[in-house]
Amino acid sequence: MNRAPPAVNLAEGLRRPASHGLRIPASGLRRGSRSDPDINPIRSCRIMLLLPQAIVDGLLIGGIYITIAIGFSLAYGVMHIIDFAVGEWIMLGAFLGYYLNQWFGWEPFLYLPIIFLVFYIVGFCLQPLIHRVLSGRRGNPVLMGLVFTFGLALMFRGLALTGFGFFSRSISSALAKGSWFFQSGNFFVTIPVIRFAGLSYALAVTVGLHYLLKKTDFGLAVQALAQHKESAGLMGINAKRVSSHVYGLYVAISAMTGTIFGCIFSISAQMGPDLTVFAFFVVVLAGMGYLAGVPWAAFLLGFVQSFFLIYLSPAYTLLAVFAILYAILLISPTGLFRKGV
Amino acid sequence: MPRKVILWAVAMTALLASIPLIVHDTFYLRVLTEAVMWIGLAITWDVLAGYTGYLNFGHGAFFGLGAYTTAILMGHGGWPFPLAVAAGGLVAAVAAFIAGIPTLRLKGAYFAIATWALARAVQQVALILEITGGPDGMRLPPFLHPQFFYYAMLSVTAAVFFLLWYLLETAPFGLKLKAIRENEAGAMALGLNPARIKIQAFILSACPAGIIGGIYAYWITYIDPASTLGDIITDQAVVMAVFGGLGTLIGPVLGSIVLFSFKTYFWAYLSDYQVLYLIILGALIAFSVVFLPDGLWGSILSRTAKRPLVPTEAPQPDTKKKASEVPNG
Repeated sequence: MNRAPPAVNLAEGLRRPASHGLRIPASGLRRGSRSDPDINPIRSCRIMLLLPQAIVDGLLIGGIYITIAIGFSLAYGVMHIIDFAVGEWIMLGAFLGYYLNQWFGWEPFLYLPIIFLVFYIVGFCLQPLIHRVLSGRRGNPVLMGLVFTFGLALMFRGLALTGFGFFSRSISSALAKGSWFFQSGNFFVTIPVIRFAGLSYALAVTVGLHYLLKKTDFGLAVQALAQHKESAGLMGINAKRVSSHVYGLYVAISAMTGTIFGCIFSISAQMGPDLTVFAFFVVVLAGMGYLAGVPWAAFLLGFVQSFFLIYLSPAYTLLAVFAILYAILLISPTGLFRKGV
Repeated sequence: MPRKVILWAVAMTALLASIPLIVHDTFYLRVLTEAVMWIGLAITWDVLAGYTGYLNFGHGAFFGLGAYTTAILMGHGGWPFPLAVAAGGLVAAVAAFIAGIPTLRLKGAYFAIATWALARAVQQVALILEITGGPDGMRLPPFLHPQFFYYAMLSVTAAVFFLLWYLLETAPFGLKLKAIRENEAGAMALGLNPARIKIQAFILSACPAGIIGGIYAYWITYIDPASTLGDIITDQAVVMAVFGGLGTLIGPVLGSIVLFSFKTYFWAYLSDYQVLYLIILGALIAFSVVFLPDGLWGSILSRTAKRPLVPTEAPQPDTKKKASEVPNG
């Protein structure tokens, strides 16, 4: 009884994002509003009814954020470089996937190995330059790394705008058409197949990376390098070579994520900076260089986004993202788990 | 060396001040006004980054705060321009003080990301609030007098340059900042209070940026969150300072002149290839970091310093020694 007025307001706020064009299409939400008349029309209930959808959306979006950030976190842990170009790598990978898809017309997921290989080589070849920047005699390698990758990011964005134009496109995938719909009582959840595929890809990458780092000799070398560079060198680890592999791995994972991202959302040459924001958010929340924290932070970001989308205005999402990022840095600079470098 | 530089700076300022007497073309005055603005932003950014070693990636927020304060006070409050600009500088200084106390405890990459996040949060607030006009931005009453804005910008930038020169190159304050940059714990052991000095440096860097932002708002007469509070302002200032040479006052001036002339040339004569500008700028930045890590001015200095047969320069131990002679403060 007392609850009624705020519930109406919330329901108003809830309808607003669904009617406007959103940057990130909430397909589940649209479905929900279509089947509204069938549902028990108690307004205050609608808030609760969307809760499962909000949670599932958060999980599905969060999955993609894992792979946006996990390579970045790995690179930071080993090389202590803050890569401003992370979003641009994702963008470039997305465009490679787009053009491969245009030329051959296969399912985009089949191109992932090619994209991985191409960008692995690119990253591997670029790393010596970054090493030179980071180990210059001039102090403040953090700044030098930041500025160098900032220059790279500008260059990539310019190249992409020249080559691909300003338009946004999307990669067509057969998976993008279907979606699963679950209903029990008044609760319902829609899971687009492509997003589920994205989450599966993210989990596969995470598990694969975990295996690589924990069970192989290469992983041991990477861990040693992250712990103490000089000692690792004394143990016979070729720091430059391992760093090159790590950088290649990071670039390759980011680029593959771009293709998946393009299947789910849309791609454009200007999408880089936004993705860089999300990567920074996830990595800082997880603790810089602490890989095990990345999935949790990524899911948290997914939840923040889906809840703001469904319950509040999407205009507040970025404000919340930056406010949380700043607050976390002040309260616990080493991340939610206090395990960062 | 210092006396020579200060003579050069005075001559430069006099030269710049006399330009409107000769050049009456509004286009060139506009370009010069913006060039002077970038010089001001680059040197103020360098106070915290080059001298103190703290990378502020939210410098544009202070610029934007000054711009918005001026716009709101002039547009809604009807304040006169000088008062509104002064208020803009004051707001920026207060914001730096409040934000600096918690943020300056962070170091290195964490400080860089935190200031960046804070600046982006301020931008988002400006997008949401009604008094700032949201994404539509604000309009100010137009005042079409290019000479006035040129002299306003030039006097502020020149005043800031000489003030910073006095504080950072001749007064002990600069040595304190350098001591913190080289070794914060060591500076504390010598009796300095890094927390206080860092806040002072932060305010010193933010306040002029706010004033410059205020002048910019009235000059351009239209401001919106994307152009005044976005990353662009910070990025350009950072690039100019790094390209010119960090930790000096001449470096950022040189860097902003070179990069800004390049940019203007591009926009004026090659605007069909605007995207090419991004590519060339990005490549320039990346390669200058790899091949000119000391920046333009740093390389010039080290080239001229090599001429004497006896290598006399050992800058780092030298500054530390000087820092130890500084009385407590």
